[in-house]
Amino acid sequence: MSGCPFLGRKHQLFSINSSQPEEDDSQKGINKASKGGIVYGEYLQLDKVLSAQVLQSQQKGDKIHDEHLFIITHQAYELWFKQILWELDSVRELFTKNHVRDERNMLKVVSRIHRITMIFKLLVEQFAVLETMTSLDFFDFRQYLSVASGFQSFQFRLLESKIGVANHLRVAYNRQHYRDNFHGQESETLLRSEQEPNLLQLVEEWLERTPGLERDGFNFWGKLQANIEEGLKLEKQKLEGMSDSEEKGDMLEDLKKQTEVFTALFDPSRHEHLLNKGERRLSYEALQGALMINFYREEPRFQVPFQLLTALMEIDTLMSKWRYNHVCMVHRMIGSKAGTGGSSGYCYLRSTVSDRYKVFVDLFNLAAFLVPRAWVPKLNPQIHNFHYMAECYDSSYNSYSSEDSD
Amino acid sequence: MSGCPYFQAKFVSSSIQHLTEDENNDSQTGVNKASKGGLIYGDYLQLDKIVTSQVLQSELKGNKIHDEHLFIVTHQAYELWFKQVLWELDSVREIFISGHVRDERNMLKVNTRINRIVMIFRLLLDQFAVLETMTAIDFFDFREYLSPASGFQSLQFRLLENKIGVPHNQRVPYNRRHYRDNFRGEESELLIRSEQELTLLQLVEQWLERTPGLEEDGFNFFGKLQTNIFKGLDGEKEKIEQNPETKEEMMAEFIKHRDVFLSLFDEKRHDHLLSTGQRRLSYKALQGALMIYFYREEPRFQVPFQLLTSLMDIDTLMTKWRYNHVCMVHRMLGSKAGTGGSSGYQYLRSTVSDRYKVFVDLFNLATFLVPREWVPKLNPTEHSFLYTAECCDSSYCSSDDSD
Repeated sequence: MSGCPFLGRKHQLFSINSSQPEEDDSQKGINKASKGGIVYGEYLQLDKVLSAQVLQSQQKGDKIHDEHLFIITHQAYELWFKQILWELDSVRELFTKNHVRDERNMLKVVSRIHRITMIFKLLVEQFAVLETMTSLDFFDFRQYLSVASGFQSFQFRLLESKIGVANHLRVAYNRQHYRDNFHGQESETLLRSEQEPNLLQLVEEWLERTPGLERDGFNFWGKLQANIEEGLKLEKQKLEGMSDSEEKGDMLEDLKKQTEVFTALFDPSRHEHLLNKGERRLSYEALQGALMINFYREEPRFQVPFQLLTALMEIDTLMSKWRYNHVCMVHRMIGSKAGTGGSSGYCYLRSTVSDRYKVFVDLFNLAAFLVPRAWVPKLNPQIHNFHYMAECYDSSYNSYSSEDSD
Repeated sequence: MSGCPYFQAKFVSSSIQHLTEDENNDSQTGVNKASKGGLIYGDYLQLDKIVTSQVLQSELKGNKIHDEHLFIVTHQAYELWFKQVLWELDSVREIFISGHVRDERNMLKVNTRINRIVMIFRLLLDQFAVLETMTAIDFFDFREYLSPASGFQSLQFRLLENKIGVPHNQRVPYNRRHYRDNFRGEESELLIRSEQELTLLQLVEQWLERTPGLEEDGFNFFGKLQTNIFKGLDGEKEKIEQNPETKEEMMAEFIKHRDVFLSLFDEKRHDHLLSTGQRRLSYKALQGALMIYFYREEPRFQVPFQLLTSLMDIDTLMTKWRYNHVCMVHRMLGSKAGTGGSSGYQYLRSTVSDRYKVFVDLFNLATFLVPREWVPKLNPTEHSFLYTAECCDSSYCSSDDSD
């Protein structure tokens, strides 16, 4: 064979005639760019945003291509964290200002919480882009990152705090050190976010106000307890009436377990105990409100509140998935080496994929208390009209006109 | 009923003890390095710039509209990713332009980076769903404050289109007349340069023309293919003529089928389609692409084949991006004009077209697939060029460079 079969060829330019004209409508228009006013690049301050990518490897005279992807990915995450905080704070304010008592604001609340879940979905998908970087390529520039670490992401901590991640429930390393990373203004802001009402606390207060819980009113809890006890008693009688068999034994065993579950449900001191352990986060009254909304979700007044509870669980699920995706990727990138921030890296991150960080854990656990529809206390439309459209406007409420965009 | 059933229950804070340490000790060890000096996260990412660049026009004009923040952040995220795509695209173009691509060890890098562009475009597609949580009503509340800012003025988007290979004269007229008018000075120069410098399409074309096996005095792939196809077609014709019942119907099908292949071997026809913009690659490059397709399992062609697939993915995703954009704009504006002056929805709709499909020829190769038996056979002893690239011409550059 004579030499390499690859031949070089000059590129030939073809002269291409213009093609057929398009339908007129789509091609009409006057270019407004020259008429003054703010243009795209200025509006988005792209001069700042697009000049913020400085490769440390390049600064140190050893430019590594993949560092650019690393930087952009993290900057994109931080942009979206800002957006989540924007939505979260606006929702918290609707609650803290009591505007949420005007039930017309529920649509806004649910839309914004739902928007947060959509953003989190995107953030979980974003990992796939960074995963196109191999551990070999990462190794080439990791040394230039020095002590920079996600541990120092201020917005991420604010986010956790404002949703309701409890300090005392953080894993030990996190609990001890997470605030060390921030000083001055940032540290104060972080401290304040721990002290101000978080989303969990605000939702808890709102749940406690669920119509139908009043003992001297509909008394949902009292009625539910009575129905469940009656229902379980009947089940037991039915089973005991069966002829003896292995199956009967198993079913009686299951019924016994079920009875224990419900006995625990109606035991307030047990709930307190679990609250202390951190296994439950909502107050007993709030839990009842959540169960009420679940059972009566099709009543017009509860439809949107039910969507809210679903969206809140979605946030927990997505944050969990985010943490886990992060763990998997880090494992691939650094194996079991320590993190740049000083933690044990992969091992530490793995430990944060845990129910300790699940804020609305109680909502998930409600599934344990579902009962057959027949056991749910009946609503009588004549007597129990509170669950239809909210009609009353107590003058002590802020008559909040929802014209305000925020 | 006495008053409103809503009560206010005071928040009950229970005293909560610290949890017992039940974690694995290893995971909780470590020394916090934050206080030890060196570049920290926020400085590394210049977050002071990024996180302070969200200024709501509605707020400046005294009528703060909540959803404008989402609008701004979404576009800024798009622009960050456009920058990343340009970073990867330029590095790949450089590998071709500098001749480094002739060292086939660089194919892995080329492929990885093109695939990364594909992954980014997938994300950009998913990103629409976030902005779609904004309703037309909410958009209407702040749209008036945006004028005349418009996506038409996105420099990076135009650079991206140009560098991939969207040809100037294929742009729909409104876009063609005006797309560069939006930019002045340095930006305008950058844009002109991106039209003149070698695009990804042109570089891939040159590379395809060099595909081993095309040489007429060598393996002569195209000549052999033509022979095999016509022999195969003759065989099919004979079989059809043997069966008088179905002959007429099947003959009509056969003729259509045959004409497709006739067109493949008609160089003049190809040149004509090139001049109308329906084809983009040279005749020789097309042959190279077909060669890689048919012999994709040969070790030397495996990664090149992946590259061709990824290039089509880019086109597909860009088209989907354009279409998602159209759908969303339609929902937001109905048939109102765009802030940049175009007819808005109508204009955007017209850009979801094959005119903007850069690697259209690769898609069209599917027209010419043949039964495996018709593909010219390779003899491993004679045709060793298809195995690992053995020759390294000393004129090639070595690939120690990270870029």
